[in-house]
Amino acid sequence: MFVLPAVGFFAAFNVFPMLFGLYLSFTDYDLLNPPLWVGFDNFVNLFADRLFLTALHNTLMFVLGATLPVWALSLLAALLFDQAFRGRDIIKATFFLPVLPPVVVVAVIWRVLLHPNGVMTWLIGGRWGLTEIRWLADAVLAPLSMIAVHDWAAIPFFMVIWLAGLAGIPAELREAAALDGAGPVRSFWYIELPHLRATAVLVAALSSINAFQTFALQYVIPTDPGGPANSTLVLGLLVLKYGFQYFRMGDAAAVSMVMFVMILIVTMIQLRFNRRD
Amino acid sequence: MAVWIRLAAAIVSLAWAGVAAAQPVTLRMWMHEHPPRIPIDKRIVAEFEKANPDIKVDHEIIPVAEYPTKLLTAFAAGSGPDIFNQNSMLVAQYFNARILAPIDYAAMGLADEAALTSQYTSGFDGIRFQGRLYGIPTEVSNWACFANNAIWHEAGLDPDKDWPKTWEALPAVAEKLTQRDVNGVPRRRGFDFNWPNRATFWFMPNTLLHQLGATMIDEENYKATIDTPAARKVFHYFQDWANKYRLGGPQYTDARTEFLGGRLATDCSFGIWGIPQMVAAKIDWSVHPAPRFEGAVSDNGMDIYAFYMMVNARSSPAAQKAAWKLVRFYTDHAAELFAGAGLFVPRKEVTESEAYRTNPAAPFFLAELNKAQFSPRVVGYDQVLDAILRGRDKMLQGESVESMLPVMNDEVNAVLNRERARAAAMAK
Repeated sequence: MFVLPAVGFFAAFNVFPMLFGLYLSFTDYDLLNPPLWVGFDNFVNLFADRLFLTALHNTLMFVLGATLPVWALSLLAALLFDQAFRGRDIIKATFFLPVLPPVVVVAVIWRVLLHPNGVMTWLIGGRWGLTEIRWLADAVLAPLSMIAVHDWAAIPFFMVIWLAGLAGIPAELREAAALDGAGPVRSFWYIELPHLRATAVLVAALSSINAFQTFALQYVIPTDPGGPANSTLVLGLLVLKYGFQYFRMGDAAAVSMVMFVMILIVTMIQLRFNRRD
Repeated sequence: MAVWIRLAAAIVSLAWAGVAAAQPVTLRMWMHEHPPRIPIDKRIVAEFEKANPDIKVDHEIIPVAEYPTKLLTAFAAGSGPDIFNQNSMLVAQYFNARILAPIDYAAMGLADEAALTSQYTSGFDGIRFQGRLYGIPTEVSNWACFANNAIWHEAGLDPDKDWPKTWEALPAVAEKLTQRDVNGVPRRRGFDFNWPNRATFWFMPNTLLHQLGATMIDEENYKATIDTPAARKVFHYFQDWANKYRLGGPQYTDARTEFLGGRLATDCSFGIWGIPQMVAAKIDWSVHPAPRFEGAVSDNGMDIYAFYMMVNARSSPAAQKAAWKLVRFYTDHAAELFAGAGLFVPRKEVTESEAYRTNPAAPFFLAELNKAQFSPRVVGYDQVLDAILRGRDKMLQGESVESMLPVMNDEVNAVLNRERARAAAMAK
């Protein structure tokens, strides 16, 4: 009885929208007319839809760029900040700063920094005498820029999770390894890494889910959301386009369902790894 | 006995009709936010309610960014407004969904269509579907080209004398006005298209194509006409502008912001409504006609767009009648709306008003407006525009115009066919 209000709230604002979304994915619905039942047509058509295939490809590339480097670099940063050195806390706090502003604020700041004649061009291109780099107008550079901005904010966040994992490793184990003559690499490989398995699963799951759901960066940073030439069009953005620009709510719901299944599969694989260990 | 019963029934039904007629009607009126118009709208609505005590108006102003979605979701939920405004690019979807009620001339106190359209010199082409009108314009706008006189003079040019009459002559003039760095990157542009603005790449290619006697969409047959010699010429022009002449491109800050910031010598994406912004930015401006192509078959400047007041076909008949009455009352305040909110409609009261006569750019805009055309109205406007922008971007990335136009044509046709089939299915 005590949990009834919470359950009711959850059912009304979580379960019902999900079920309604599932229902919509089997309809053709333009918002102006009642939904028309079309069975599995939306799902079948998606896999012949060039826009969906482009968005799927871009999302998978983004997931790759927003997970593997983030795992490695955030772990590296955590190992660094796990050591005692002068000014560590101040540097760590500064390093953590990109996590604090909302993603939209990060996106707006980077939109300015990535102006073709802006700060990043001066910092990177200046060395080779370049005065213009089309970070956001070039179909190759634009998706890479999205990954770089994402990773800039994600690495410090996941570093903190790794640090929490490192803090949980008994100090005696590290001391024993050191006494036995293990260097930092061997100690990491045989002591720390095995103890970080649960943390690694958490980092992998969280970062993958976040990456699959990416939206704000691709919406705010490019001049035309998803551009240029759809090079930054990701599934999250496609849902918005289909739903509220193209008024194809059925297709939007079908893309959401595909995203849901993809995230579910990736998460289950990661959990399975964790359980097996 | 039967006579008495009939008489009693007649009395009852007459009394009921009287009660029904006296029933107050409450109209829901939604308008997108345009701050200078808000106090005028409120005054007009209050005057209307005073003159029509049986009609109440629930007037709601909705921020521009939220307006299209809020309108759609309201119609989806069956709670759409009785009166609403929307622009000519987006009206086709409402017509297609049978949301738009045809004009009720009797309710507006007009004899017929001619009695209405004769009050205007143009503006109705954007709201005519299958021969019938579905709304009244509250703003009819066309863009023109503005020069920053100070930059032109600094480059040794006089905008009145040196203004390029043709698109072919424009790159040379723009180059003289452009300042470049050591690598040839423009630091101050002479002229540039407003690439980041989505609507620009609907109006601009259509404007240029209209000059060549072509269009992007054959509205009548609902077919894309993008892969044509005229379209090749137009898209080659855009591609050369960015890649060959390097006079600008989508990588730079939008043209309006740059023009108002004094960093762009010439811009062709402001309407008459842009002048107060230029005055506020202390820009010494002059207005000029958009260039024409050499050998153009049509002497049109930039394409027109308009905002219309429309009535919800799903409202009750009584509400629809009252709504058209209000639309007539509202649009009869056109001169006041131009003077106070800068919303121009080509109507006699406006062109004879003090505000019009004292605006030095107004006759120029009206002359250009009377030669201009509406860009095609299509269902699935955003999908079509996305296909065009995608193709444009690929051309700027190095794809050839000849290889991209057939792709764009096919993509746009796919959208048009899909939307048409969808409309047919919904109609069933």
